[in-house]
Amino acid sequence: MPDAPVDVLIVGSGASGAAFAWSLAETRMNILCLEQGDWMDPAKYPGMGDDWEARQLGDFALSPNARGRREDYPVNDSNSPVQASMFNAVGGSTILYAAHFPRFHPGDFKVKTLDGVADDWPIDYQRLASFYDVNARMMGVSGLAGDPAYPPKELPLPPVALGKLGTTLVKGFNRLGWHWWPSDSAITTQEYEGRAPCINAGTCLSGCAQGAKGSTDITYWPAALRVGVTLKTRCRVREITVAETGMVDGVIYYDADGVEHRQKAHVVVSACNGIGTPRLLLNSRSKQFPDGLANRSGLVGKNLMFHPYAMVTGFFDEPLEGYKGPTGCCIMSHQFYETDRARGFARGYSFEITRGFGPVSTAVWGLSMGRLSWGADHHRAYADLFDRTAGMVAICEDLPEECNRVTLDPDLKDSDGIPAPKITYRLSENSQRMLEHSVARAKEVLEAAGARDTFAMAPFPFAGWHLMGTARMGTDPERSVVNEWGRCHDVRNLFIIDGSIFVTAAAVNPTNTIQALALYIADMVKKNLANLFD
Amino acid sequence: MRNEPGRIDLTAEGERTLASVLDEIIPPSSDGRLPGAGAIDLVGYIKAAMPRLPELWSMIVHGIAELDGVAEIRHGRRFADLSGDQKVTLLNEQAFVLPLSLHAFVGYYQHPRVVAALGHEPRPPHPAGYTMESNDLALLDTVRRRPKLYREC
Repeated sequence: MPDAPVDVLIVGSGASGAAFAWSLAETRMNILCLEQGDWMDPAKYPGMGDDWEARQLGDFALSPNARGRREDYPVNDSNSPVQASMFNAVGGSTILYAAHFPRFHPGDFKVKTLDGVADDWPIDYQRLASFYDVNARMMGVSGLAGDPAYPPKELPLPPVALGKLGTTLVKGFNRLGWHWWPSDSAITTQEYEGRAPCINAGTCLSGCAQGAKGSTDITYWPAALRVGVTLKTRCRVREITVAETGMVDGVIYYDADGVEHRQKAHVVVSACNGIGTPRLLLNSRSKQFPDGLANRSGLVGKNLMFHPYAMVTGFFDEPLEGYKGPTGCCIMSHQFYETDRARGFARGYSFEITRGFGPVSTAVWGLSMGRLSWGADHHRAYADLFDRTAGMVAICEDLPEECNRVTLDPDLKDSDGIPAPKITYRLSENSQRMLEHSVARAKEVLEAAGARDTFAMAPFPFAGWHLMGTARMGTDPERSVVNEWGRCHDVRNLFIIDGSIFVTAAAVNPTNTIQALALYIADMVKKNLANLFD
Repeated sequence: MRNEPGRIDLTAEGERTLASVLDEIIPPSSDGRLPGAGAIDLVGYIKAAMPRLPELWSMIVHGIAELDGVAEIRHGRRFADLSGDQKVTLLNEQAFVLPLSLHAFVGYYQHPRVVAALGHEPRPPHPAGYTMESNDLALLDTVRRRPKLYREC
């Protein structure tokens, strides 16, 4: 017996699902969100214990394959130099993300027009600008106005503390005359709408017990639930079902006890991230869609973009107090963001300064870099590393390529028997040249800041946390999966609102743009309610 | 660790060998500031961590047995009774030492005595956090004067 039908069913409660639910709630429609994870308890986050760094290698590791929680599904990423990273809970991957929160540049929506590669988005920066503003207020974004790398924007909170580490690296940027700016961060730096300010604990990547980091369980969801949205946790959707008409009519999901349920809905919205959404669509085969739901273009799962990362560590002679401050949010640089063909590649990258390491992470990282061994020399080598490192990451824009894709693994399944995703991904020549350039520039600025030595890892294998492109947006149904406001070309009551719909990746963290898009799509749904399926 | 059916475990002598191995992996610092592994019961930490890593534990248990076997053959004594140089030579021949080192480091560097010896307060980051100085935004003066870096469309 199916559950009572709802008007709108959202699959996934992360960055996009939460923002969409909150925005649509004003319609007073019957809105239900199904989330395969559960509510997190901030009192149990690792940062409350002495073993917090160790838990970042275990039950709070970035990779679902390393965590093995019941809520996780495995990902076969053996055919990719980058490991996929995501988290299933109310709040999704915003529970573990660093909350670095830049916007796209205006040119990131017009890559084909400006640089002759990839494609243009069917929307532009101006279309999203007001939604970026709304998102900044809802998530509590800190930063500083006046950045020459962006059109004018206002943020509700002052920037995060640069600290001794940030100030040291700033000297390098200023010596070279390179752009830098305090990072836009979804981190409250003052008391804000009932949330406490950041206390610089440095535990961002394993959940913020302070509540300062903007995850959607503490930002959008409380507001959405107050106005009547229903959120059911520990409900894992197996497939979206299709009626004889060819429209979707609901989902099949498993509850916490593994019991199968059918939930009927008039509209279904997928907010499962750039791996979870194509996985769900490919698992939703029917006689109308034998190759996967909404996949007549053949593009579901294709054009996966990750942002290849380079990670460069500088070693300094003086203590940097790098264990203090938000882990991934300090300063950013867009010096090499816009295309300059003289560099030998199209598009560009951004730099983000990352903080230093705690005692355990220093040892683990030192071992992995080959700079720390066991035995008689251990303590001397450790003293050269501890609180003497500063990191930079380069976020490179990888271009969409159909060969980079998400498919269904023929053997691997999750704990409910649902086929797991398989990643096939390779770095293009453009990406490789960009990574090389970024490593050289990172070393240059670290040395200008006083680093006595550097160490680079490119591509950084653990950086598969930006998942984009696998159900791309466009006006041509043969070359895209959804239209310019997230509605599937093939199924007019099915929407996709997560990073899958990205046409190109830009060279910055995507969460702010994912949420701005979700808010924009919700706004378009509200404006088109009378003829939503036309 | 309980000796469950199907789960291998160290004998008392094997534990003594493991303790000696850990003392070589992380000896006390030459200035006496940092303790060696043996002073903070790293054996207990390793044993508690291993149920999640059965393959590594099996590698360690078999490696320990092999280590003692080679020590007997070459030097007529168990590993724990060898000289420092003899121990290091044998350890360099064992594949389990590197993965064991990773877990030894993790256990060692979260121990309150070690954290305090490094000059940090031995406490979790929350709820107290850390104080940081205010930003000197005058450092941005030259950046503010730059022309815009983004392209209009």
